[in-house]
Amino acid sequence: MNAHTRFASFTAMLLIGVALLNSCTVGPEPDSHAASQPPTAAQSRGTSQPISVPRSRAASLPPSPAPSGLHALSSAIVTADSNTDPDIEPLAEDEELWIIARGTSAGHSPGSMGAPRMARAESALGFAGGASVLGVRRSMERARAEYATAEPMRDREPDMDPGTGAMMADLPVEGAPGKTRYVPLPLQHTAVDASIDGHVGTVKVRQQFENPFDTKIEAVYVFPLPERAAVSEFLMVIRNRTIRGIVREKEEAEAIYHQARAQGYRASLLVQRRPNIFEQKVANIEPGRGIDVDVTYFHTLRYRDGWYSFVFPMVVGPRYNPPGHADPVGAVPRGGRTEAPDGTAVEYLAPDERSGHDIGIRVRIDAGVNIEEIRSSHEITTARDRPGTAGVTLAQGTTIPNRDFVLDFRVAGRTIKSNLLTHTDAETGDGFFTLMLIPPLDTAAVARRPMEMVFVVDCSGSMDGRPLEQAKEAVASALDRLEPTDTFQIIRFSDRASRFGRAPVPATVENVAAARKYLSELDADGGTQMIEGIRGALDFPHSRTHFRFVSFLTDGYIGNESEILAAVHRRVGASRIFSFGVGNSVNRYLMERMAKAGRGVAAYLGFEDSAEDVMGAFFDRVSRPALTDIEIDWGGMRVSETYPAKLPDLFVGRPLVVTGKYRGRPREIAVSGTAGDSRRTLTASAHPDSETGRSIAKVWARSKIADLADRQIAGGDPDGELRDAITRVALRHQLASSYTSFVAVDSSHRTEGSHGITVHQAVPVPEGVRYDTTVRDRGEDAHSED
Amino acid sequence: MKALPVPLRVLMAACCLVPAAVGADSGDTPRFVPVEIHLDSPQPVAAWQFELGDRNGAMKVVGIERGGIHAFSDAPYYDREAVAEGDADRIIVADYTLAGESHLPRGRMRLATLHLMLEGGADFELRLVTATTSDGQAIDASIALQIPEERTR
Repeated sequence: MNAHTRFASFTAMLLIGVALLNSCTVGPEPDSHAASQPPTAAQSRGTSQPISVPRSRAASLPPSPAPSGLHALSSAIVTADSNTDPDIEPLAEDEELWIIARGTSAGHSPGSMGAPRMARAESALGFAGGASVLGVRRSMERARAEYATAEPMRDREPDMDPGTGAMMADLPVEGAPGKTRYVPLPLQHTAVDASIDGHVGTVKVRQQFENPFDTKIEAVYVFPLPERAAVSEFLMVIRNRTIRGIVREKEEAEAIYHQARAQGYRASLLVQRRPNIFEQKVANIEPGRGIDVDVTYFHTLRYRDGWYSFVFPMVVGPRYNPPGHADPVGAVPRGGRTEAPDGTAVEYLAPDERSGHDIGIRVRIDAGVNIEEIRSSHEITTARDRPGTAGVTLAQGTTIPNRDFVLDFRVAGRTIKSNLLTHTDAETGDGFFTLMLIPPLDTAAVARRPMEMVFVVDCSGSMDGRPLEQAKEAVASALDRLEPTDTFQIIRFSDRASRFGRAPVPATVENVAAARKYLSELDADGGTQMIEGIRGALDFPHSRTHFRFVSFLTDGYIGNESEILAAVHRRVGASRIFSFGVGNSVNRYLMERMAKAGRGVAAYLGFEDSAEDVMGAFFDRVSRPALTDIEIDWGGMRVSETYPAKLPDLFVGRPLVVTGKYRGRPREIAVSGTAGDSRRTLTASAHPDSETGRSIAKVWARSKIADLADRQIAGGDPDGELRDAITRVALRHQLASSYTSFVAVDSSHRTEGSHGITVHQAVPVPEGVRYDTTVRDRGEDAHSED
Repeated sequence: MKALPVPLRVLMAACCLVPAAVGADSGDTPRFVPVEIHLDSPQPVAAWQFELGDRNGAMKVVGIERGGIHAFSDAPYYDREAVAEGDADRIIVADYTLAGESHLPRGRMRLATLHLMLEGGADFELRLVTATTSDGQAIDASIALQIPEERTR
């Protein structure tokens, strides 16, 4: 044992109570914004004169070192100017203000500078009235990068929204004829750095905010994370300083944040609005300055039929909120947040609008077994050095963050086995484990029982177009797979529900043909009253001779998930629920929780997927459960608090993941279940204290919180006991939850003036979703309810 | 620049308690105060841990920032139990490095800056739990607390 090893061991014991071995923490960088993509100058909003600056990414101009349009103003000039105009913050001694401009003259006459900021900069460069300033940056590298992508101005944008002196610009979008307006928004770049070890992913997300306005702002960004994400680390990065955020009860965190914001301190707050929707607030971003926020989370990857799936969602879909719902997730046009009802609101860009926000994704995979194939929803570059590892990068280019990034990798055919990962917490001595149980293929040879298939099709406005077409194709494909002894029903819902037959009908040739005609006539319009679909699907007598499956085909764009899940819990009975998420940015949280409540599984049908293939594979699996009535012999482990508390059926190719706490010595465990008419036993070997270590405890805590939340939904929480329990677990394991939030304050610097304007980060609607039938209509609905 | 309008006394002691007080401002508005934690070590430091509490229960930790030591490049970690439990905050902060001996710091160094929200006057209690060399030997080091002047832009 060398000195470092001895020291590491010593330190691990010495520093009890401190999570030392966090490999995900980001070290400070000299300039955290220098390497990011050029921001898009854009439309202004606020109180002073805007300036129009069209530009294009397609141009190829010399990037440096001395392009004629790139000028540096010395810090002395700006500092002197700020003596008379508090609008410009003083520069530090080692800072320079770089102005990116296009033109033939480089007149450098600081004496002529006057407010507002952009006009002052233009004037200083001798482009009076020319509107040639593309941006002002404090980083030369960033200015150069931005200049390199610029092209000469073509026209001016009108004064759309008199404002802050920020820029307007025009970037044509490849393949989109006509003009596209770029709006100035604070979120410049999202960098995702994921590391996959076995079936556990550790993901660091860096959000780079920058203030493109000439007044202080508070940036607000509503964004999605995977539904099983255990958010456990929160850092605020200001230039080369990194401040670790503290997790606190939500109300306390919000109070701290608001105090800091009101007093002029830079602060950030991360609030969970749904298990898969978070709200980021960053206060007191000064003009031209940036603040980064790092969020780290753990989650388990899905595994289906030999494929692991890593998903990074990029946008929250526009949700429908039934009238009177207390905690809506609103969908409003850009700038419409202040008119929306209480709750969380997502602002959406109009179809002809773009923000400069782009995204970079890197994924490192260590599968533990050979990786045989990799595929992705996006264009990627892949580097392979060993058979079991891979590095994947989202390809460079303009990526509009409007659909989930899905990375699937297939591992060697028969090598995946059930396994048990364990970890002991050095602080408490608590043992945690995750068990991944994979049924062998030969358990598929189980007799098929007659089925009663109920298809519930979402026909609300957000399903208009490709989503509904995919759903129809999937149902049609399933109908073809039914046998005459099976029965089926089709229910459609939007504002209300209707059904194909008065009761489930036998899957005869005639009935299937009639059902196909019924399907072909379905169209999408109206709200998403999913409760109507739930009632229609579950509120009728259950056939004793048939195994009832209820399949929901929906994008899940609703804001009242709790109400829906509660209804499922109350009504599910003996039915199995299978949820199909249709689209490229579906509400996976709703899909997964509905399936869990109904002891089924979720599947996803993207626009590029073959509905027939997806439904076919799914259908073949679920019609023959591999193992039912599962029991586990934990061997030498004394197990407690296992999740899911009630073990579901096991389907071939679809693993069961169980997480829990234990004491004792992990050895081999035995899992038994009914396969057809006999009992089968599977075994899984333990891998004590695995590399995934710390994440296992986080994953367990996240599962426990999800279970407590399910109990809240199903049975209510009149005395707040479940709320308190969730809070305790979240604080104990430093996780964001419904009742805990992360807050970070930089008390070293106090910015001057009030906290400025609040700018909500508008996002594009998900790919395949129509703005006019979701955002615009729903926004108007929301307003009319006020 | 304006100085923090509070009385402050900082005592230094080797591996023991360092009390310091911050008086309350008039009014009920909470104040935000950075507290720098400095270590003075005669030997190269590879690991450290300190505990900061407030006898008056006025302190809430709202951020933890790393110090100026290159070898300790991340924001330090804190003991979640200490923050989550009790009526007032008490925090245990620690870090370690596997950097080579030649990169380990010695002398006076800023370990961390704690960002605090104070609701009333604070009576800090700072304790150096440990500072060790790379081979795990305890160092006879001293710890101190310092509140820098507030900077306003």
